[in-house]
Amino acid sequence: MLSEQRSASKTMVGFEHVNKIFNPGSVNEVTLFHDFNLELEQGSFVSVVGSNGSGKTTMLNLLCGSLPIDSGKIIVDGQDITNLKEHERSKFIGRVYQNPAFGTCPHLTILENLALADNKGGSFLLQRGVNKRRIDYYKTILEQLHMGLEDKLKIPVKALSGGQRQALALLIATMTPLKLLILDEHTAALDPKSAEIVMELTKKVVEEKHVTTLMVTHNLKFAADYGDRLFMMHRGNVVFDVSGEDKKLISIRDLTNRFDEISIEDGN
Amino acid sequence: MDVLLGLLQVVLREGFIYGIMAMGVYITYKVLNFADLSVDGSFPLGCCMAAALITLGVNPWVACLVCFVGGCLAGMVTGLLHVKLKISDLMSGILVQTALYSVNMVVTSKKAVLSIFNMPTIFSSGIGGKLYNSALDQWAWVIMAFVIMLIVKIILDLYLKTRSGLLLRAVGSNERFVVSQGKNPGNMKIIGLMIGNGLVALSGCVLAQQKESADASSGTGMVVMALAAVIIGEAVFGKSKFMKGTTMAVFGMIIYRICLTAAMQLGLDTIYLKALMSALFIIALVSSRLKDERSAKSVIRAAISK
Amino acid sequence: MKKTIVTKLIAIAVTVSMTIAMSGCGNTASESSAKSASNAASTAASSEDAKTIGVVQFTTVPSLDNCYEGFVKGLAAEGYVEGENLTIDFQNANADVSIADTEAQTMAQKKYDLVGAIATPAAMSAYGACKANNIPVVFTAVSDPVSAQLVESLEKSGTICAGSSDQLPIEAQLQLIRAFLPEAKKIGILYTTSEPNSITDLGIIEELAPKYDFEIVSQGVTNSSEVASGAEALVAKGVDCFDNFTDNNVVNNLPSVLQAATKAGIPVFGSEEGQVYDGCLGSISIDYVALGEETGKIAGKILKGELTPEESAIYTASEGTPFINTDVAESLGLEIPSDYADGTMVKTGENK
Repeated sequence: MLSEQRSASKTMVGFEHVNKIFNPGSVNEVTLFHDFNLELEQGSFVSVVGSNGSGKTTMLNLLCGSLPIDSGKIIVDGQDITNLKEHERSKFIGRVYQNPAFGTCPHLTILENLALADNKGGSFLLQRGVNKRRIDYYKTILEQLHMGLEDKLKIPVKALSGGQRQALALLIATMTPLKLLILDEHTAALDPKSAEIVMELTKKVVEEKHVTTLMVTHNLKFAADYGDRLFMMHRGNVVFDVSGEDKKLISIRDLTNRFDEISIEDGN
Repeated sequence: MDVLLGLLQVVLREGFIYGIMAMGVYITYKVLNFADLSVDGSFPLGCCMAAALITLGVNPWVACLVCFVGGCLAGMVTGLLHVKLKISDLMSGILVQTALYSVNMVVTSKKAVLSIFNMPTIFSSGIGGKLYNSALDQWAWVIMAFVIMLIVKIILDLYLKTRSGLLLRAVGSNERFVVSQGKNPGNMKIIGLMIGNGLVALSGCVLAQQKESADASSGTGMVVMALAAVIIGEAVFGKSKFMKGTTMAVFGMIIYRICLTAAMQLGLDTIYLKALMSALFIIALVSSRLKDERSAKSVIRAAISK
Repeated sequence: MKKTIVTKLIAIAVTVSMTIAMSGCGNTASESSAKSASNAASTAASSEDAKTIGVVQFTTVPSLDNCYEGFVKGLAAEGYVEGENLTIDFQNANADVSIADTEAQTMAQKKYDLVGAIATPAAMSAYGACKANNIPVVFTAVSDPVSAQLVESLEKSGTICAGSSDQLPIEAQLQLIRAFLPEAKKIGILYTTSEPNSITDLGIIEELAPKYDFEIVSQGVTNSSEVASGAEALVAKGVDCFDNFTDNNVVNNLPSVLQAATKAGIPVFGSEEGQVYDGCLGSISIDYVALGEETGKIAGKILKGELTPEESAIYTASEGTPFINTDVAESLGLEIPSDYADGTMVKTGENK
């Protein structure tokens, strides 16, 4: 019944028969993905959980182009992006990293960071870097964060706290229209309170923009509470996949039980 | 007093001329975060090109532009080696610096020194000549050097505020961010190295025109001098919110030249100069690092208290 | 904030004290510049015709040191004795062009009576700095002052520069080689591609060689590590002897060249007397002390007002002195040619 529901709407992301082997030909050879297939439907908010080494982050890196795939295809919005470079894929994929330092430019001011993001996909020639007419708009979106950043436009981002930076990184990643938003354990480096704030903001942004979102997290609570689909990865495979009503009913306890089962399979 | 004023003249003139180079190195080292050693080759490239062009009768201002372009090409080679062939930044710089020696010898037709004594330069002909022949005398050279430096600084500051300039600063700050904005950081690095080396060559060109000769081996120690200027400038003026990095680089160069001249006036044997300059460099490096650590700590404190 | 200022003050204090400390040891370690200069100034000030001059020496190599030694002697011969009626502000640029510039400009700003310059880059710096102030420049150890545009011609300077040239006596050297080796055909020459003087000298010797029925076999190297293999390569090409220029890299690695030559049983001809003491068979050498002395006399005449730089002719060490190492001649079984019997006969290592 689930699969019927999914096929009814449009597929945004597809992994088709993807293979990825690390250190091929050496004693350290590891086959992480073997004939890996995955589909994400348009507008879905998908949480991904899994233990270390399960392939979550590698999956994101393959999708964003930070790592090449050995064979297979990656499709985004009907377009085969397998041969696109990372920066070319960035034009329609937004990504927020675990490290708050990655999603912003620490030496540039908040204003300059926003101005750069605002111009994503445009030309970067000798036009004025910061469009003064857009400043009011920047202030409006910063106000929504309730962090007082709207009064700190001229401050370099490195002076902000981790939570503030991550909130800003989220705004920056979603400033221009996107096909896909990738959240790579984006609350993992934050203190619990900041993590809550950033997570609430994430929900709000995703709902406003209706953007297909893939969130990798170690926080089972967030995985259970947010999003409309959840899957668990293990050794490069999707081992547990729920969506719709089933997803709403899932609890942290269910997830921990699943983890235990996997561990037993591993013989731990 | 006359001697002191005279020395001030030398310090300022050299400070402004070498200051153009310091701004170039500011672009590569500070903005781009790229330790570019090709400077030791692109500086004499500017000197030698200037002397060769002026010998050919080229207008000295046109010579400045051509030298800038020549420096840009040298920087482009460093960039291509690093970005396309994946050679490390230090190694690319060393390779270009070495290759430029041959280029410089070709430019000077195999002469170690090329003189342009009594030929028209930006200092001796046109507006420079008029200034010199007025009551200003040798202060005219200081004014010319200052004006050229100022023009370069203003253009550079304006550029850093354009979209391309912002992106350049972003590459040095966080390469991943630039990738996220759908841009290839490698291309921006090449552009930055071109601007940096272009300015270094321009600095060499202006110096050669002022002293009316070029020496193919005059690049020795230029990287260190320029880096020291950038770092000293930041260490001394880094707290000032209103001073731009380019201004700090020029002031850093003037401080460096003051220390050097003062040391020589105090009778310091020149064999100790390099050690003194290294000491200055170390002090500036350490004090700016201490400053960074303090600001990092305050960020962490702010994060905790939130 | 407060802390920063304190750090900064400490930094400045350390720098200043280091400068002073180092300048202190500069004075004790070498008897150079300031201290002796200022002492001299106080004694010379009493004398009527006391003069202050500056000297920029580009780098420290034996030939240039000899030039300076001679320069001071020459000035004394004209009646200007350092410490009595002459103050010399001597600066060595340690092969750094930008330092040479600053030194020369400082001397120009101090309006010295004359600036001496040893080696081409120093002469360029001095001329550039002194031109506007009309301070005479007296240079020495400049191979080609005309092409360096320091003077208009060797006969009549036409600029504020006067002095002497040290072009290698290459033709005399070829005559020496022919006298020692009547049957020789090929002269092997090792030179460093980045040393422009060597390239100039190579051009000259290639032009002159046919006149003495020689063929030049040259081998370029780029650094010290290539000297030994370069010498072996020349031996393999069947050269009958080696001839050196004043190529710093090759001269500094002379033992490698000598080894290759000794193994092949062929002689090496040097370019300076020092090389003959080190094991070269012979050399037509410029006596740099004498060259410096002549230059010092020119400087003295200019200080006295007897000579204006514009009218002066450039002194050229036209004839070198032959130096012959008898140890080497004996071991190679070579007779000392009768034409050179009155040359200076030396033995290996004798000068040490």
